[in-house]
Amino acid sequence: MILAAVLVWQVVLAACVPLLSRRLGRDAGYPLAAGFLLTAGLLLLPLPVVLADRTVTADWRWLPSLDVSAALRMDALALVFALLVLGVGALILTYCPRYLGREASHTRTYLLLTLFATAMLGLVLANDLLVLFVFWELTSVLSFVLIGQGRPAAGPPAVRALLVTSGGGLALLAAVVVLTLELGTSDLGRILAEPERLKGGPAWAAGALVLVAAFTKSAQVPFHFWLPGAMVAITPVSAYLHAATMVKAGIYLLMRFSTLFGGQPAWKQTLLVVGLLTAVLGAFLALRQYDLKALLAYSTVSQLGLIVGVVGVGTPASDAAAILYTVAHALFKATLFMLVGIIDHEAGSRDIRRLSGLHRIMPATAVFTALAAATMAGLPPTIGFVGKEAIFEALTEAHHPRWTAPLAAGLGVLASVLTFAYAARLVHGVFTGPLRQQGLRPPPLAFVAPAAVAAVLATALGPAVTLLSPLVERAANDARPQGDPPYLAFWHGFTPALGLSALTVGLGTLLFVFRARADRLLRRLPTSTPFAVWFEAGRARLLRLGALVARPARAAGPATFLLRPVLAVPLLAVVAAVGLGPLPPPVGDATRPGDAVLLVLLVVTLAGLVTVRSALGAVGLTGTVGLLLSVWFVTAGAPDVALTLMLVEVLTTIVVMLVLRRRPPRLPPGGAPRALLAGAVLAGATGLAAAAGTAALTGRRDLSAPGGFLLAEAAPITGGSNVVNTILVEFRALDTLGESVVLAVVALGLVSLSDRVARAGRETPAGPADPVLVFAHRLLAPVMLVVSGLLFVRGHEEIGGGFIGALLAGTAVGLGHLAYAGSPAPLLGRLRTRPLLVAGLLLCLGVGLAALPLGRPLLTLGKVGLPGGAALPFSTSLLFDLGVYLIVLGLIVAAVRRLDVPTRPAATGERR
Amino acid sequence: MSAAVAVGVLVAAAVHLLLQRGQLRVILGFVLLGHAVNVLLLSAGGLDRRAPAFDGAGAEVADPLPQAFALTAIVISFGITLYLLGLLSADGPTGGGEKETGDGPSATAGGEGETGGGPSATERGAGGGER
Amino acid sequence: MSRLLVLPFAAPLLTAALLLAVPRRRTAHRLAGLAVTAAVLVLAVALLVVTRDGTVPVERIGGWHPLVAIGFAADAFSALMVTVCAVVVLACLATTAASGDDHDPLFVPLVLVLSAGAYGAFLTADLFNLFVLVEVMLVPSYALAALGGGATRLGAARVYVAMNLLASTILLAGVGLVYGVTGTVQFGDLAAAARTSPTVAVAAGVVLLALAVKSAVVPWHDWLPRTYPEAPPVVLALFSGLLTKVGLYALIRVYAVVYDGDPAYHGVIAAAALLSMVVGVFGALGEATMRRVLTFHMVSQIGYVLLGLALFTAASLAAAVFYLVQYILVKTALFLCAAAVHAGHRTDRLDRLSGLSTAQPVLALAFAGAALSLAGLPPFSGFVAKFLLIRAVGDAGQWVAVTVAVGVSLLTLASMLKIWGGAFWGEPPAPDEVAATRVPARTVLPALTLAVVSLLLGPVAQPLLGLADTAAAGLLDPDAYLRAVSGR
Repeated sequence: MILAAVLVWQVVLAACVPLLSRRLGRDAGYPLAAGFLLTAGLLLLPLPVVLADRTVTADWRWLPSLDVSAALRMDALALVFALLVLGVGALILTYCPRYLGREASHTRTYLLLTLFATAMLGLVLANDLLVLFVFWELTSVLSFVLIGQGRPAAGPPAVRALLVTSGGGLALLAAVVVLTLELGTSDLGRILAEPERLKGGPAWAAGALVLVAAFTKSAQVPFHFWLPGAMVAITPVSAYLHAATMVKAGIYLLMRFSTLFGGQPAWKQTLLVVGLLTAVLGAFLALRQYDLKALLAYSTVSQLGLIVGVVGVGTPASDAAAILYTVAHALFKATLFMLVGIIDHEAGSRDIRRLSGLHRIMPATAVFTALAAATMAGLPPTIGFVGKEAIFEALTEAHHPRWTAPLAAGLGVLASVLTFAYAARLVHGVFTGPLRQQGLRPPPLAFVAPAAVAAVLATALGPAVTLLSPLVERAANDARPQGDPPYLAFWHGFTPALGLSALTVGLGTLLFVFRARADRLLRRLPTSTPFAVWFEAGRARLLRLGALVARPARAAGPATFLLRPVLAVPLLAVVAAVGLGPLPPPVGDATRPGDAVLLVLLVVTLAGLVTVRSALGAVGLTGTVGLLLSVWFVTAGAPDVALTLMLVEVLTTIVVMLVLRRRPPRLPPGGAPRALLAGAVLAGATGLAAAAGTAALTGRRDLSAPGGFLLAEAAPITGGSNVVNTILVEFRALDTLGESVVLAVVALGLVSLSDRVARAGRETPAGPADPVLVFAHRLLAPVMLVVSGLLFVRGHEEIGGGFIGALLAGTAVGLGHLAYAGSPAPLLGRLRTRPLLVAGLLLCLGVGLAALPLGRPLLTLGKVGLPGGAALPFSTSLLFDLGVYLIVLGLIVAAVRRLDVPTRPAATGERR
Repeated sequence: MSAAVAVGVLVAAAVHLLLQRGQLRVILGFVLLGHAVNVLLLSAGGLDRRAPAFDGAGAEVADPLPQAFALTAIVISFGITLYLLGLLSADGPTGGGEKETGDGPSATAGGEGETGGGPSATERGAGGGER
Repeated sequence: MSRLLVLPFAAPLLTAALLLAVPRRRTAHRLAGLAVTAAVLVLAVALLVVTRDGTVPVERIGGWHPLVAIGFAADAFSALMVTVCAVVVLACLATTAASGDDHDPLFVPLVLVLSAGAYGAFLTADLFNLFVLVEVMLVPSYALAALGGGATRLGAARVYVAMNLLASTILLAGVGLVYGVTGTVQFGDLAAAARTSPTVAVAAGVVLLALAVKSAVVPWHDWLPRTYPEAPPVVLALFSGLLTKVGLYALIRVYAVVYDGDPAYHGVIAAAALLSMVVGVFGALGEATMRRVLTFHMVSQIGYVLLGLALFTAASLAAAVFYLVQYILVKTALFLCAAAVHAGHRTDRLDRLSGLSTAQPVLALAFAGAALSLAGLPPFSGFVAKFLLIRAVGDAGQWVAVTVAVGVSLLTLASMLKIWGGAFWGEPPAPDEVAATRVPARTVLPALTLAVVSLLLGPVAQPLLGLADTAAAGLLDPDAYLRAVSGR
């Protein structure tokens, strides 16, 4: 319960930030620090329980379907890290008010820092893999935002940091998935309680993935390069996230999973090798830096490596050493960052070559820097000394294989010697020597105080390490329950570790004293590793590859895009031909003698169409194809289809003519000969596939069940004898409604398109009327209208219906438009699109929806019974069809009027 | 069999037109493709039965359902053809009225002027259209 | 309830028709559009409640015999899709109402017709009617894509119409072939037909091909990034939420019903899924405007959903449904953000933008939330979706696919960072330098709301997950759906 309360309290704190910030400005850090301390106090309440090797838990069912709970649990290991997060957090928040400028966006900084602390707490308290992952990624994201805020130069390093850490995060996610699937639960407590259940391949995979996650987060080689880059962040962020806490999340993860993977020799060896390599490499690089923050950053890399290496030893003593050194490092590194921040703030530089003699101006800062540096160098009596002792002790115990111990100890000593050297150089470089800068002032007391507290604490905890002992031992046992670690003490007597410490100090002193000579040697080393460069190069290569992938999507014309779907058709046919077994035999004879004639005509027309260069010719031939097919549809027993197709064909041709009047009379060349040939081959293959598909998949079964039902029942049920029409206006009236809507929308689209053209200045001037067409219109239009009306009314019984009727009326409209060349023709010439569409749509929908209030389904059409037993004198399907009629007419009016937009006379002088 | 042949030649001609330059060819190609599908639909009903579906069900009466499908399809493709023609006609003299836009399968953007799909053309065009 | 099943389709249509009669009443257009969409949303939520336990309400249009009637049916999957699409439409309409992008008298009616078609497509249980309703949805999109004009936009609109027309024609041919083989187009009578008969499998394969083209599955994806980014910015948000998703829905439905999830095709679908994921994310990395990056991401995300379909297990289908639902919301939010950027700066090229996080904090917040969700970072819904999917894929032993999915996540993050770094970080340009107008916060509010919903769907994922489980169960064992539809 208390764990959930703690997290809630932290969120409340974050929520209070805007308010506090408005009231107190940058001083809002103080109450927030107090809040953190309160949180720490709350967590210490169950200390006796934790020390008694029991855990505190909280549980909330998050995804019951997956058996995932948002479970929290606190043992000593979690408590140590939680206290670290909160304690250092409180110090940093006390440091912020004097560091941040008055105008700076402190609200955002405080909010993000508080949220970050919450995420870290969640991370160390999580008792479910998924929850652990969530908080893990949250810390990465918050770190990204904290690095990137403000300065323009902060972008690339922030991106790098996020990509590296969340890449590791994804490895963690994969590990979570492997573990969850393999062990059937994501409950961390249960998984760790039975480590022997994980074995074989999954154990290896999960172990490797966890290592990647931890190495990215804790900046181990080769993923370390993001950390120095992250130093563009403001100092409190560097101190808190990138020295004391977030980078320790990787250490926490390794220790947490020690139980699970610690048994694998490969796991231990990887940790040892990677950790110690990182330690040495980081220390060398730190020695090469002149920027104090960069020095501290590489120092952090190095120290983290040392800890990772020690975790790899895998004994009770090594676990305790790792935990102790984690605490020590957090204390001295946060202190050093805070002090460097003060120096930077007051002296305006962090370059060790430009700073000098600052102890004259800021003696307190100098003293505390020296203390913290001594802790870093591992000098007695600091906690750094105790921690280093423990580490040397642990490293000498590494014996898998046997020669590891001396090598590990040697590398550890080497890293520590270098650490000593750069710690000495830091203090010496900044504070000794003559004061070169003018007008410096000592920092205010409140600025130095947080660092002072931490420095004093780090020093005092050395002799008083026994205070920490119970908690650290308990935590070591939590990490790996394999017996009690040795009791932590300031003085262990004359041990090999003490010897190594002495050796470190001695060699370090030599390195410092002969620093000029050492520098000459070191100058050959690069100041950074090339990984960051490689990373950026890889990213740039990815972006270029992406541009390559994206390029095809930039082609202008439709042909490029149509190609691939078309190509899929013959491919599908080939696959089908291979996969299909024997087909059922064709039913009946689907061929009639007349078919051949039509086919020949069709082939001839199409051949003309694909070769013709005249636009009008192409349109005419296309129309001919339509007419040929209409004739054929009559012989196929589909007179409605035939008539509709014919009318559609006529209307399409009229409209195309209108559009073509202002376009070139010749079609453009089809393309390069090779492309044409390829197109022809593809066209042939697609045609063949379509023909084969039609032959194989149609005409091989008897009359379908719905077809039989309709033939038998349609007339008796609906009273209409034209079955096709009854389907359209009754059985599948929804399809008809849909197509009417399509037509209405097309009409609207045409209006919208031509409005824009008209706005662009191309007005429609009325041209001279064509006497021949006028005569034809006078003669034909009334007849067409009467026939149209007849076709509409009798549609239910004979060929006809709303569509056909309206298409015929539309033809009359088109003729009138052609005849009168744009000025309103008599008879239907003044019809307007929008009212037709609105009336038609409302009629269709109204009739359809009227059934709903009567408790009938949508589009229940037919004779409607009126109250009192009488029936309406006509079927409502006729009203529905009338709506369709109006919409189709509206479309044709729109098409004929709107698509006939002549060019401006001045434009090209084109003939109208 | 005749339906299959008709579908085949219609599709072949349609694809040939679709893959060539010129918007008008593309539109006509789609008209042909629509025809092909209509033949296919009728064939799906079974062309061995070829009497119109008026009154009653004889052994020769055609399946009315695919005819209804074909009618719906004809009308929809008619509408969309009109819209394509609208787009063609909205393409004013400056936007390629003299010059047919569209390209063969191998051509890419670049040198296509205003209608090119590259980002610079995009911005120019979009800006020009909205200002 | 079943009687009301048609209302998501009919009510927006009726509203659109009424609004066409009063083209100059802008306020009426706004209010009516929002009101009817909100009503659809309420109805859809009611449908969710009804279908939660596996009930499948069905309505036969016109009350005809099941053999010949067009049926509308809703299971949890349909209801979820209707719900989430109504949310998208609502967000887009709210955005345009705030920004004034709805000044064209056709805008709201077209949007309503489009949405009606989409809702109908989610609800219909008839293959031919699906074709018709997809057209009802697409034709308004043709008009919307060209809205505002300009040579580039019209050029893109031509490609868009041509591509969709080709896909529709293939779809129609496929429906015809299915009818040719089976003599029916009703889902109920097509149950598992393709699994038992290879000829049906071929015919329905043509349908699937058409739907894949419409959903922009690799290798048929190029048209999407070619055409979408040229559409008016807010319209693009609407398209991204609805259009390809209807194709994806239909793909899943047809595969579940007609093929009964036949394992013979899992490999093909998985290959297309992985290709889409990878090609989409690389394309996104290579693009240089917000909308183009985001459009390529659609391809990638479609791949994720298809991966769930390819495995066809209860867990993978639930993951796919969850992914689809949350991703529609997130993607809409992102496109609405891009639209707001475009509205303020007349461009969304990354090299011409900077400092938006300082200049427009609300916009930055909405974008950041949605972008993190898209990249699958916790605590957003995108994370839960990705976890569900990766878990399901791992459970099926497909570790290669797990690796690809994880890798693509990282690249997704990288491309989102490209946008963030380009447009949001840095110094805001000096006021006199660029004629940038500050977009009022209320324009971004709908996007922010969607981002917040995504944030909430992370920690409170269980309700949606429960629905996704029900939907997956309905796809895995469509018996209840099929019985309801066929009336037997």
